[in-house]
Amino acid sequence: MTVATDEIPLDQPARDALAELLLTVADDEFVIGFWDSEWTGIAPMLEEDVATSSIAQDEIGHARALYEVLATLTDDDADRIAFGRDMDGYRHAAMLNHARGDWAFSVARRWLYETADAVRLTALARSTHEPLAQLAGKMRREETYHRMHADAWLRRLADGPPDVQARFAESLAALWPDAQEVFAPLAGDEELQRHGLLPEPMRALHATWQAEVRPVLAPIVGDLPTIAPTTDGRTRRTGDFRWLHGQFTLVSGSEVGATW
Amino acid sequence: MVAVVRSGQSRSTLHDMSSHGERVERVWEVFRQEDEGDPMIHSGNVNAPDEELAIHYAREFYGRRGESHRLWIVPRESVLELDDPDLLKPPLDRSHKKPGGYIIKHKLEAAKARAGEGST
Repeated sequence: MTVATDEIPLDQPARDALAELLLTVADDEFVIGFWDSEWTGIAPMLEEDVATSSIAQDEIGHARALYEVLATLTDDDADRIAFGRDMDGYRHAAMLNHARGDWAFSVARRWLYETADAVRLTALARSTHEPLAQLAGKMRREETYHRMHADAWLRRLADGPPDVQARFAESLAALWPDAQEVFAPLAGDEELQRHGLLPEPMRALHATWQAEVRPVLAPIVGDLPTIAPTTDGRTRRTGDFRWLHGQFTLVSGSEVGATW
Repeated sequence: MVAVVRSGQSRSTLHDMSSHGERVERVWEVFRQEDEGDPMIHSGNVNAPDEELAIHYAREFYGRRGESHRLWIVPRESVLELDDPDLLKPPLDRSHKKPGGYIIKHKLEAAKARAGEGST
């Protein structure tokens, strides 16, 4: 990757806002990647096991690329950002606080997340921060496949036997409030707008996503409540995430600063 | 004698169900092409209940590392199989169908020599 096209270097408030944005997207990808990797070895069938694990790996790969863009901006280290924070330092959306649950729950979350992520990536691909715009463009190509896979499973569970339909609808309804938090307002929203770092405000992206997913979800789960994203949508934490954080920092924490 | 056997039923629908309403897994044979113009080579197979997931799983097993230019995914029951030894390995001498008895080496050398003379 070469030079950014920004001719005027960003001032500190803009850099802070961009860093916050990058961290939220990276943490979302990182945490969903770890949760979905919890299916490795126990997915419904061997082929699905490989597919789910591969998609989880893709998400971790996206997180890594985003952490690297962030590390370049803040003169930090991608591994340190990924593994060197205590659990209160993470900024993933509240939907990703929950353990993987059963297969219906994981499919429901993947579908809600993939659809939201697609809306966000479309905006990020037009960011004035060139490294982010380029990366978002590449990520969108991989996410196309993730979206197809999530759509395939949505239809299978939605058209499944009555008990499958019921469990799937329950999971969608349970996740719905926290799913809004992918679009939780950022402290630096105005700075991001001013510099075109995020070309549309979070509330506009939220509206786009709602318009897309509601018609698909209505036949499966009925009318879902209108819930606005909240200011603590990316800072609330749970016991489930405490456990996951302990898991994914286990190796890096066992010998801080080690290389291999 | 009929040597060509077509096993299985007709092509798939999106949701294959058994008579008990359960999802039925089917076997799909996967062929991959490494680069445009290369031959399609049989790579193996995947289990999947329908065409859509068969494509996803074939992609994961035979294309997720960027190693494939193109995949063909074929329901196993659509493959025509011929393995009748009367047709493939008949007992009588077949040597007259092979080029082994025809020594081309000297003719080739002579042709090369002629071509060489022509160009100088």
